[in-house]
Amino acid sequence: MNITIDGKVCTCEKGEFLLQVARRNGFYIPTLCHHEALPGQGCCRVCIVEVDEGRGPKIVVSCVYPVERECTVYTDSDKVRRQRGMILSLLHKRAPDSELIAQMCAHYGAPALERLPNVEPGKCILCGLCARACSELSVGAISTVNRGVTKEVATPYHDESPVCVGCGSCASVCPTGAIELTETATTRTIWGKTFALVRCAKCGAVLGTAEELALAAKKAGQETETLCERCRKVALSQVLAHTYGDE
Amino acid sequence: MSKTVLVCCGTGCLANGSAKVAAEFHRLLEGSDHAVEWLVKETGCNGFCENGPLVKIDPDDITYYKVQVKDVPEIEEKTVLGGETVDRLLYKNDQGQRVRSQRENPFYAPQHKIALRNIGAISPTSVEDYVAHGGYQALRKALTMTPEEILDEMDRSGLRGRGGAGFPTGRKWRTAAGYDKFPKYVACNGDEGDPGAFMDRSILEGDPHSVLEGMAICALAIGAEEGFLYIRDEYALAVKNVRAAIAEAEAYGALGDHILGSDKKLKLSVVRGGGAFVCGESTALMASVEGRVGEPRAKYIRSVQRGLWDQPTVLNNVETLANVPVILLHGGDAFARMGTEGSKGTKVFALVGKVKRTGLVEVPMGVTLRHLIYDIGGGVQGDRPFKAVQTGGPSGGCIPAELLDLPVDFDTLKSRGAMMGSGGMIVMDDRSCMVEVARYYIKFLSEESCGKCTPCREGLRHMLQILTDICEGRGQLSDLDLLEELCHTLADSSLCALGKSAPNPVLTTLKYFRQEYEAHILEHRCPAGVCAALTSFAIDAEKCVGCGACGRACPAGAVSGERKQPHVIDPARCIACGSCREACKFGAVVTKGKVAG
Repeated sequence: MNITIDGKVCTCEKGEFLLQVARRNGFYIPTLCHHEALPGQGCCRVCIVEVDEGRGPKIVVSCVYPVERECTVYTDSDKVRRQRGMILSLLHKRAPDSELIAQMCAHYGAPALERLPNVEPGKCILCGLCARACSELSVGAISTVNRGVTKEVATPYHDESPVCVGCGSCASVCPTGAIELTETATTRTIWGKTFALVRCAKCGAVLGTAEELALAAKKAGQETETLCERCRKVALSQVLAHTYGDE
Repeated sequence: MSKTVLVCCGTGCLANGSAKVAAEFHRLLEGSDHAVEWLVKETGCNGFCENGPLVKIDPDDITYYKVQVKDVPEIEEKTVLGGETVDRLLYKNDQGQRVRSQRENPFYAPQHKIALRNIGAISPTSVEDYVAHGGYQALRKALTMTPEEILDEMDRSGLRGRGGAGFPTGRKWRTAAGYDKFPKYVACNGDEGDPGAFMDRSILEGDPHSVLEGMAICALAIGAEEGFLYIRDEYALAVKNVRAAIAEAEAYGALGDHILGSDKKLKLSVVRGGGAFVCGESTALMASVEGRVGEPRAKYIRSVQRGLWDQPTVLNNVETLANVPVILLHGGDAFARMGTEGSKGTKVFALVGKVKRTGLVEVPMGVTLRHLIYDIGGGVQGDRPFKAVQTGGPSGGCIPAELLDLPVDFDTLKSRGAMMGSGGMIVMDDRSCMVEVARYYIKFLSEESCGKCTPCREGLRHMLQILTDICEGRGQLSDLDLLEELCHTLADSSLCALGKSAPNPVLTTLKYFRQEYEAHILEHRCPAGVCAALTSFAIDAEKCVGCGACGRACPAGAVSGERKQPHVIDPARCIACGSCREACKFGAVVTKGKVAG
């Protein structure tokens, strides 16, 4: 089926998400909480666009809006710009230390809102991607806590998590770099818990935390890895060479 | 003919000691010589809680109010055994006459009860009692109909969801019935959370079988075999009665593996909600039922298609479901003869606030606000001037006096920026500050927002800050534009109905009471004398009779004066709480802007 985005006719499948269709057709719509591996979050609201399905334009959130019928889409209308600006300003008040948000505010002409105080210092915009990543990819060590204005992301009771494996999935999906992950030569610290790092038995490259490797091995039903990816390939090729007598 | 003593044991009457009243009747009944046959029944809520405990004697049709244990022997002797009335326990109408029947009581007389039809007349969980009042007849009839015929009847009735959104119930069921995907679920939304609203609680407590019957009929229409009643855990009596009713209905055969002897089955169970307001939102409710965090999801794909565990699910409000058996039994057309063009049937309202008679009121759709507030409610307490009525719960709007003749239905209220919501109706007099009212609701919503989406979580926080600043004298005129801009962002870009409708209290008060905002900002004065930072109280020496009531009410010891001499308020000690003004019967306490220093 065809839909019109900012005057351009675009082809898409019924049920495809609007953001996907727009991006495929070269339209840039900003996002924060959207992640290809963890779709459907739909909470930061910066990817709003206007859609007219024949009954007048309405604001929708493009990352979770399925295209069900022919429609006209405006990714940069006055209303979209104004509301996106307001949403970014609100996020800037929430996460004043985030350079990304500050840059987006400047880029999209977000109002300064000097009248309103910052919520607290920090970079977290409470999009919840980290908690999603942890529960879907890892062990569910963190989650959003409380609701409304007191919402935050934390381990249960803010204690050191007994289940966290220190994999850092949460930090890697965070759009604003709000999750602190520090490493020394031998340790990794995240969510207030310090893990010993395991290194490749051959080359000494960092493999991850022992707990992380054990979890991955358990999920895959294999023995715990001791070599890095590169050394593993080298080792495998040596085995093959030996087997087929090409030494 | 035997007599029945019906003792109201709704939550309000229980709080007023009705359990002891009922126990006393039982004690007397045991010692009775049975010259007159009589029995005692504990019933659900009669809706007139402020006058409880209520006791009704049938067939004499006499209702007593504010009955205490000490009154019980007299009631037994005079009314139950003797057939006389105990005049002092009768309701006194506006003309000062004592009335025997609820039909003569101005609170009850104009009401038309459909959803509340059995409450007060039956023992809530008893399936025999429910059946004796025509219960499960509609289900029996539905079993002889095809799903299509049931859906047609629902369409003809024009019933719209009573939880607030007003979506046509028949259309919702038909959409779910149309999906060839099983299992399907039927669910009941009993997560009533609007401050002041208690119609769903009353129905769940007082007539749970009517809701179960409605769910069973829905299940037949859409092809569901399992269902849930999501009830907030604070509603302890509702949870208890619904569970008991499910057990009784299963024993009777109205639920279970062979509904009334047929090959249809339905298993119902209660899921207790943790008290989050947002869990009344359909997708958050379903997340909670599934055991996930109660947060809404985008509803571009409706829950009739993908609801509980991604299966087709019909979620109806308690009051909606209670109407269903009546529609099936008497036909959709009969139901549609009541109400207005777009809103059929009746609606239960929780009439509360500064109104003389408060309680649960069921009236046909389309009656005017004036009828509700002045005829049924008896007008504003103390005959003070009416200022506004807040309809539809925290996300509803404030409607001013000039719109009192508006008919109450889904579309009219919405056109004025308010909404029907679940039917809360809070009456406010001239001593209610509309800025403070808006602040109160925004505070409630900011605490109850799930915090998932940016506009609702962050927008409400800042709106609350701005409104608090205005109430405390730190407002600027430009704040009003900023408030409106935030409101528009919330209304358009929030994830769920909580955020989308949250601006209503602000937008309606800005629209109808803008001058009050301006008085706070420009004149540093709260016209209603509510905002403590912008109010001072003084006593008008000409009106003061020196009764001392103000001094006794003052918690700060700020009032002084000789008996029968004009009193004075010490501004240095006054905390501007307004207790003196409430206590004064002579209108001698006057409000002024905050005195500098």
